Amino acid sequence: MVQARSKILVVEDDRKLSSALVSGIEAAGYEVSAAASAEEGFFLLHRLQPDLLLLDLTLPNRNGLEVLQQIRQEGLDVRVLILTSHNTIDDRVAGLRTGADDYMGKPFSFPELIARIEALLRRVLPPSPPQKLVVGDLTLDVRARAATRSDAKLELTAREFDLLLYLAESNGRTVSREMLARDVWQETSRYTPLDNVIDVQMARLRRKIDDPFEVKLLQTVRGIGFSLREP
Amino acid sequence: MRLGRPASIRARLTFWYVGVLAAMLLVYAVIVFVFQYATLTNQIFHDEVQDIVTVEGLLYFDGHGTLQLRQDYYSRPQSHLLVDRMMEVRDLSGNTLYSSPTLRGLSLGGPSQPNEGDAGFNEHITRLADGSYAFVISHVHGMGGRMVLIRLGYSLAPLRDRMVQFLFILLIAFSLVLAAAAAAGQFIAKRALLPLELMSARAASITAHNLSDRLVIQNAEDELGHMALVFNHLLERLEQSFQQLQRFTADAAHELRTPLASLRAVGEVALQKEENIESYREALSSILEETNRLNETVDSLLLLARTEANFGTEDAEVFAIGEPVREILNLLGVLLEDRRIRIETAGVYESRTRVRASRGLLRVALMNVLHNALKFSAEDAALRITYHHLSAEDCVQLVVEDEGPGIDPSEHERIFERFFRGHQQPRQGENGTGLGLPIARLIIERSGGTIRFDKTATAGARCIIRLPAYAD
Repeated sequence: MVQARSKILVVEDDRKLSSALVSGIEAAGYEVSAAASAEEGFFLLHRLQPDLLLLDLTLPNRNGLEVLQQIRQEGLDVRVLILTSHNTIDDRVAGLRTGADDYMGKPFSFPELIARIEALLRRVLPPSPPQKLVVGDLTLDVRARAATRSDAKLELTAREFDLLLYLAESNGRTVSREMLARDVWQETSRYTPLDNVIDVQMARLRRKIDDPFEVKLLQTVRGIGFSLREP
Repeated sequence: MRLGRPASIRARLTFWYVGVLAAMLLVYAVIVFVFQYATLTNQIFHDEVQDIVTVEGLLYFDGHGTLQLRQDYYSRPQSHLLVDRMMEVRDLSGNTLYSSPTLRGLSLGGPSQPNEGDAGFNEHITRLADGSYAFVISHVHGMGGRMVLIRLGYSLAPLRDRMVQFLFILLIAFSLVLAAAAAAGQFIAKRALLPLELMSARAASITAHNLSDRLVIQNAEDELGHMALVFNHLLERLEQSFQQLQRFTADAAHELRTPLASLRAVGEVALQKEENIESYREALSSILEETNRLNETVDSLLLLARTEANFGTEDAEVFAIGEPVREILNLLGVLLEDRRIRIETAGVYESRTRVRASRGLLRVALMNVLHNALKFSAEDAALRITYHHLSAEDCVQLVVEDEGPGIDPSEHERIFERFFRGHQQPRQGENGTGLGLPIARLIIERSGGTIRFDKTATAGARCIIRLPAYAD
């Protein structure tokens, strides 16, 4: 995943969240600047010409949506990801209509934010998904929907294969329960029963792909989610 | 205040009261006035007829053939000065034979009309040349071989004076009566509306701080008393929901504070000790887990608030209640398998269990109920799901029975209270937000249905959900 260091501007008035965002995104390999107000944001937007703008909707003095409107009126070439605690469908629709490229409700899971930033910055269409995914000695045949580990065929249910595929496609990055709920289970929100289901499903998957082997690939990152990688 | 529409009920009542009374008095006055007029006119007519008969006997032709009125008829000579009747006698060719001095040479009614006085006594009103009016009757009389027309009239001026006087008296009396009625009406209305004033003063003083105050009911039987009763019931319900809200806010604060406290404790402890990276990692993970819990509680609170605030039926659709149940069981499939829980389904055809509701919300409700049953189920237990169509109530009934420890009799209602957790603990690690069943109840009730736990269930818990059946 070779990326020229893309520039990201964070416009967020909460200092704590802003600095967490900056250091987290920097750690993911981007060049990050931060602004605490709409005015400062505009100034930096023109000077730095970032590739992506993380925009909080509730800014002092000015509504984030107005900022977004002005950006689109000026025709600035920047992708915009909205961050907000007003997270109803209507809010999302309003945000996307005004010209946002993506929308995340607070609180969000950090792995998901990074995943979305990556997706937004992928300027070219992603290459057609590879036929084979390999993690250590685990191989996934995407077309045949079959998984083998150390040449032993793994008997997986459809849901288990989907889950494994999603983890493998994430390239060793951690995926959160929110991401699994949305992308694998196709549920609109995460809730307690679904968390239980995810945990049980993960335990079963682990029994099949890890238990018989020395090296454990499926990692639980406490408090965050799961990742599939060589330790 | 707009003209013609007094602002206060008191003024309006008085206004109408006086208005109706005035209308009634007016009708009465007109009738009395007409009756009086008719009586007096009748009297005049009667008198005139008598006069004519008298006069006929007193008229005579003297030696010169001139018509004369015998004056010796008066007992006292000056009495004739009191007589104000007017008389004119004509022969049939129209010549005036006699004209009374009271006419002062004026003609009483001009030339004779054809057939005037032929049959009985003609009556009519005529205008004299001096402008005054007279009530005249005419009569043809034969005397001395000649036919003469006798006209006899009374001036109407005295009658008119008397009627004007009468009208004047009536008007004075009426205005006195109306004024008295207005005063009395005002007073009575004020007396009658006094409780209302007291009530509104009392109601105005009731705020969130003294919601327990009630209106004073003076007479529970009358209309105002009824209104006060209704208002007091309203206050009662308001007070209850206000208390519920206060309790809920306090509970919510408590529920949020607990994970916050543990966040703080874990963070402080981790920072105080010089520890290795592993223990920091442990502390941070624990903090993240707590934030997840917090997040779930906040999401549930928001769902509750949203369902309560705007439960629109615009996204309602028609479906068999079994459809979302199957979806949920499919989703929870691994949990069921994991604990080897059997699902036993029974009931009527799907076409008879159709409901109209917001599918997404109902799914949340059913999810909470089913997950709750699952949480308290031991391994290898059965979960029985039964569908009914109750014809009598025309509703769809869904029963979910588990083989868990059941619900304590004292907790059948409280289990739907927000943040209430029964004394039965679910399997470890499955402690929820305490909002699952309250959310389920709110959604089902807003969909027009009911949810309760069967008190007669002997083993396990038996949840009964009823929703209005959809019929096309």
